[in-house]
Amino acid sequence: MNRSRQNDSSLRETISDFFFEEQVPMGAALTRIFLPLMALLPMLMRFPRVRELYSSDGTPVQMFELFGNGEVLPIPGPGAAVILYSLMVFCLLCGIVGWKTRLSLGIGTALYVYFNLMDGIGTMTKYSVIASHLLMLLTLSPCGRMWSVDEWLRQRRNQNVSIVPRAFPVWSIRLMQLLFAYVYFGAALTKIQTDAFFSGEQMRYWMLSNWNYENPVGEFLAMWPPVLLVSAYLTVVWEILFGFLVWNRRLRLPMLATGAVFHLGTWLLLGLYIFPAVCLSGYLCFVTSEDVFRVRRWMKSRGLRLAELWKFGPRIPAAIPSGVTWAIAAGLFAVGSVEAEYRFDLYGVRGESGFMPIEEMDRERAVSLIAGATPLREKDKFFSFQIGSTALGGQLANRREVFKYGDIVIAECNLNPPHEDMWVECVLEDADEHKINSVGQVITREMLRGQFTLLLGSQLSSGRYSMVLRSAGHEISRRWFTLTGQSPACDVDTDVFGN
Amino acid sequence: MSQTGKWIAGLFIGCYLAVLSFGIAGHALKFGLAGNTLSYFVVWDMFCGWQAYDQRTHLIAESVSGRYYDLREPWGEFHPYGSLGRIQYDVFGHMVSKHINHLLTHTQHEPIDSVYVVEEAWPKQYNLPERLWKRNFGTKRDKISYYHLRATCNGDGNVVNLNPDWMNQQVLNSIADNPRLRHEVNQAHSSFGMWYVPTAHTSRHGLRQSTAVAPSTN
Repeated sequence: MNRSRQNDSSLRETISDFFFEEQVPMGAALTRIFLPLMALLPMLMRFPRVRELYSSDGTPVQMFELFGNGEVLPIPGPGAAVILYSLMVFCLLCGIVGWKTRLSLGIGTALYVYFNLMDGIGTMTKYSVIASHLLMLLTLSPCGRMWSVDEWLRQRRNQNVSIVPRAFPVWSIRLMQLLFAYVYFGAALTKIQTDAFFSGEQMRYWMLSNWNYENPVGEFLAMWPPVLLVSAYLTVVWEILFGFLVWNRRLRLPMLATGAVFHLGTWLLLGLYIFPAVCLSGYLCFVTSEDVFRVRRWMKSRGLRLAELWKFGPRIPAAIPSGVTWAIAAGLFAVGSVEAEYRFDLYGVRGESGFMPIEEMDRERAVSLIAGATPLREKDKFFSFQIGSTALGGQLANRREVFKYGDIVIAECNLNPPHEDMWVECVLEDADEHKINSVGQVITREMLRGQFTLLLGSQLSSGRYSMVLRSAGHEISRRWFTLTGQSPACDVDTDVFGN
Repeated sequence: MSQTGKWIAGLFIGCYLAVLSFGIAGHALKFGLAGNTLSYFVVWDMFCGWQAYDQRTHLIAESVSGRYYDLREPWGEFHPYGSLGRIQYDVFGHMVSKHINHLLTHTQHEPIDSVYVVEEAWPKQYNLPERLWKRNFGTKRDKISYYHLRATCNGDGNVVNLNPDWMNQQVLNSIADNPRLRHEVNQAHSSFGMWYVPTAHTSRHGLRQSTAVAPSTN
């Protein structure tokens, strides 16, 4: 009984220490500097389009509509939308520099969530959700107590007496860290539930999509299923382990470094820019004061002293209270934005000819597009056809064009879903395209690939051959290969005709 | 930190972690998420699946004089995440009606009778750049696009005729490629009345029929 009570109290203490331990909020301050900046980048891109995306003079499609709940949020008129949007931008900029930090982040976060919810098609994404969580938690955190205008003003009030950074309870920072654990765990669950994720097909189709920014590395790797297969397993294992191991002092850095590599990978392979930027700036919440001191020592050893930059800080007299200055600046920013938007005249209404005309289309092309009902070509049901000799995870792992006697040729066709149940043949032909033999198999509708295996024995003479993939009487693809060396049968008796 | 502050913070921590846990459990067990917009904030389905075919949407307006117009923003499309216009990310057609209405009320044109929503689709292997195509396929690239009339709208953007989307049509085609199934479906009789009740949101704006997965724009 006593031991159980002791265990309970020890668990309570551990949890209490975990959330309420006091630390200098350096990680939170770094996150405050970088995260709003990353969250702002896509929003700044949308600034000239506020009228179109978020106002009653445009086409906002609220997230609530996508979920079938109708228009829940009030839709502002264009002027009000621009004022609110500029206020959001101003507040997030103030959050970055730490000016009226909590107020700025509070207003900025509320408006950021509002505008994301207002456009479920072209603004709201999962990086917006992660950024919303982090911004909310930053608002609650003491992130403005370090490296901020607020702190500078505080020091000025205290006649520039350098104050030793105060420590604060870390609960809001812990929640930011826990958020990542939940995100990765949830992402792993999604992948586990996604058909064809572990065989790489899903990843391949994503890499070949042009929905994000350019991803030449992804396009290259999309054709190498073994890489996708291995990376799929590694990703899921890392995502599940993250929430358990990142708290370990020794494993913290390796887990975060792996995460950084993973996110940089999504940039290279999938063409995602903002998602990794948001996540990596969120990672800064894992930074501790020891990490910062270590970096400082390293910089000092190379003669770099960031602290000296403060010497160049402006010596502005405390004439007007910071809050009043903030409000005036916010107002000026909003008025300036409304004026800029008016002058920008997105729809060209104030031009000489009024609204712009829409472009006429070639009649023949228009009719062909409207009436188009071309049946799916047999070859378009297939993604690729390759030959090689090694399989990994049930998939062709290499590609070869030269084989020798005794080798196994694996011919693999990949199919694009959806397709019906199909009878697919693989035909071996000689250099003159004469059929030597063939084999077929049923590929049912749920299958994404089929394999044909051929043992290169003594029946063939050395030379050039091709494997031909056929379906529904059509040649889909042809792969040439060369058989080299001497037939084993020839070693025994060269007079025997072996085919 | 005061004891009261600790209690308030503790309450917030408990609620926040409970909400995050609900998202994980709801997503894993598929409950409580349908129709729940706020669940989007706690479900981490960044990898919800991708189709084998790339798709684009074209809007073609037909005027009362029989001329055709390429209906797109003359002031320039907004590209939210890359080089594609915003309408291309509207996979389920939630925005189409509003978009058509918006374009027609903000542009100069003769009276419009109908607007055709045409889908274009092609297999994704054709997205490979030329260099990689040659290296991986070794044949001439003969890409064709499949066009499919998804919906017909009137001059206000309201849907007057709706067809299954192209992907859904391919799924139906592949299922229908079964003589026994076709025969049994033809023999069967359905009773109507209580099986499907359209709601305001399913019958008005959205063109929601596809069973295929949507691209995630994360």
